[in-house]
Amino acid sequence: MACEPNRVRLLCMLSLTFGFFIVEVVVSRITSSLAMLSDSFHMLSDVIALLVALVAVRFAEKTQATNKNTFGWIRAEVMGALVNAVFLTALCFTIILEAIERFTEPNEIDSPYIVIGVGAAGLLVNLLGLCLFHGHAGGGHGHSHGGGGGGHGHSHGSGGHSHGKKKTGQICKSEKPNSSSSETNTLVVVDHNSPNGVNSENRGYDFSKDGTELQTNGSPLYDDVDHSSAAQLNMRGVFLHVLGDALGSVIVVVNALIFTFVWQPCLPDEACLNPCINSHSTDHQHVNQTLVGLTDPGAYRMAGPCWVLYMDPTLCIMMVLILLYTTYPLLKESALILLQTVPKQIDMHQLNEKLLCLEGVLAIHELHIWQLAGSRIIATAHIKCHDPTAYMDVAKRIKDFFHDEGIHATTIQPEFVTFSSDSRDSLCELSCRTQCAPKLCCGSADKAAEKKAASEADDGLREVSPATLEVISEDPEQAAALPLVVTPEPAAAPREAESFL
Amino acid sequence: MLPLSAKDDEYKPAKLNLLAKTSGWFRAILSDQTSRNLFFFLLLNLSFAFVELSYGIWSNSLGLISDSFHMFFDCTALLAGLAASVISRWRCNDSFSYGYVRAEVLAGFVNGLFLIFTAFFIFSEGVERALEPPDVHHDRLLPVSVAGLLVNLVGIFVFQHGGHGHSHGDDDKFLPGKGSSKQILQGVFLHIVADTLGSVGVIISALLMQKYDLMIADPICSMLISLLIGVSVVPLLRESIGILMQRTPPTLDHALPECYQRVQQLQGVYNIQEPHFWTLCTDVYVGTLKLLVAPDADARWIQTQTHNIFTQVGVRQLYVQIDIAAM
Repeated sequence: MACEPNRVRLLCMLSLTFGFFIVEVVVSRITSSLAMLSDSFHMLSDVIALLVALVAVRFAEKTQATNKNTFGWIRAEVMGALVNAVFLTALCFTIILEAIERFTEPNEIDSPYIVIGVGAAGLLVNLLGLCLFHGHAGGGHGHSHGGGGGGHGHSHGSGGHSHGKKKTGQICKSEKPNSSSSETNTLVVVDHNSPNGVNSENRGYDFSKDGTELQTNGSPLYDDVDHSSAAQLNMRGVFLHVLGDALGSVIVVVNALIFTFVWQPCLPDEACLNPCINSHSTDHQHVNQTLVGLTDPGAYRMAGPCWVLYMDPTLCIMMVLILLYTTYPLLKESALILLQTVPKQIDMHQLNEKLLCLEGVLAIHELHIWQLAGSRIIATAHIKCHDPTAYMDVAKRIKDFFHDEGIHATTIQPEFVTFSSDSRDSLCELSCRTQCAPKLCCGSADKAAEKKAASEADDGLREVSPATLEVISEDPEQAAALPLVVTPEPAAAPREAESFL
Repeated sequence: MLPLSAKDDEYKPAKLNLLAKTSGWFRAILSDQTSRNLFFFLLLNLSFAFVELSYGIWSNSLGLISDSFHMFFDCTALLAGLAASVISRWRCNDSFSYGYVRAEVLAGFVNGLFLIFTAFFIFSEGVERALEPPDVHHDRLLPVSVAGLLVNLVGIFVFQHGGHGHSHGDDDKFLPGKGSSKQILQGVFLHIVADTLGSVGVIISALLMQKYDLMIADPICSMLISLLIGVSVVPLLRESIGILMQRTPPTLDHALPECYQRVQQLQGVYNIQEPHFWTLCTDVYVGTLKLLVAPDADARWIQTQTHNIFTQVGVRQLYVQIDIAAM
């Protein structure tokens, strides 16, 4: 399956990172450096991110519908991407905190050579990771531009860091600085690739085996394409995480190198003072130089240029900014999918108009379109038509229309106009335009009131489609006025009024 | 109208918009009890954090500074909850056909994630401190922790009903509001509890260190607290993940098979296909269903009966597709 290489890559990177984490912990115990220990925790959070992605991939492979998850687990990948994005953001916060702490209390690096060594090793590991994930997650879908991301892994005073990645030129293929347009690109491209969309409804949950289906619900199940576009999101999350590490490593190495060559430290057996570090001893010496009984005031060496100590936090903050900038599109995209937004490539207005133009369609209400994951789009609507016999033709036409738009999982509820008497054919036309409106929905509504509302809505709906949406949005106010309010939620009406502030 | 000069005031819409927008937001926030509470608690937290930060900078105590940053971090959780409670009341539009109601579920989820991250962070700090205990001057931290504890207790008192829902006599009229912000309130509540536990932990470890000189108390407390936080977040995460993954609502798990049976017993129905039921937000369930019916069956009657059956279990938004079997 198309997801196999993903899993393999993730496992590979996971084991590498975990191994490195162990190495860092051991080295930190040997050199008893606290900074390296805290860096190893950053490594651990990396491992966790990879684990989250792996779990998401495993889950998402089960596209089969189950009793509890009738849509399958395909959304797991979007969730994985969101979790990774949120973790990255939280990590950025902690790095900012630590950087600010370091601004107020700068530290020297105790053993810069070890730092350089471990940093370079981490850089290699991360480089490898970048190569692994770049091919899959990159490919020009607007995500990070090269040269910098944030990452966690800035050096704390003494201690190495391990993840490094150099990702400078290679990934920068995504030339689109505007992330939203590139996101559109992603969705649109995938859509063209899968003309038959993905409809695993056919292997859904059937009560009896001899269901004769009239609807041609899009034929073969192109799960792979679906998967790959949803998986893109997940892999992007992992990629950004690994990218952050890479930058972190780069910063560590650069910092340690500058420190080695520029800084002139105070050797232990030499009388010198360090003006950059605000400690009591230097204070005293500084203030009361003659008081402390120094033999030769002129022979004091000052420890190296102070700005070197401030390089670390500055670079970290830059890194964080870049990382945040690149993570934001991922966060936004996965959050929008989870918020049941209408996919970007679909224009509701136009869709409505085109639907109204179909023969036999009198009106449309409650049109909802949302994206399950990747290119799997689901639509539901109420279609008003003349009578049951006309309905079957119309149904086929509507299904074909949706197929052309790329929406393959549709549920169309017919509403018949011809009679008045007992048919509660429609759910309220006036319902559900606000979130509590479902509570007003027609369960035990008054027939008369409903008919009246139905005819009102009807007249409105026969006009041009923008009016459709307008009538519906006005309706809840009518609904509040109508005696349609169902008993359990008498407070719904005042709450509705609230929402129209 | 064209501007006649560069100073033409009619041509400056931008500034007015911002003001109108912010005042609109304020009105929205203050109108609902939940968001009002969140807003004032957020202000309280922010001011406390600022006070702590300035005190820490003035007295040059790193511990206080880092503690104030933790409080800022918590403020972001409150901010997320506030934003979600305002956003979820926006009207639906072309891009969001269901409106923004899911924002509260997402906010609860993100808060849960932040909490897990905080727990992880505290745990790692605890481990670091266990291996290399720094010389912490707890005498300064103690009064600040007590003050923080008080602030958090206020928060717990204000939000205590949010986590578990409801039922006071006079609160009934806010029930719909509370119901739909359940996730947000639960997330915020857990966050405040985590904070309180942190303060309590600091106080306990400070006392232990002063009295018994047990330096190990501090990291052990931190680790215990982080474990507690992690465990308490699990139910919230499970619920929001279920909702976001479009899982069948857990409350309907038992009722649905009965409903399917009843529908199948309707005259003319051959079988049910592709039932999908999911939660839009708290207590709002959406369902889609396809029925295969006989050619001579009364489609309208079947539809209304089906709607009735499902409305009785609480699914108000139902889409029933009728497929007529070929003869």
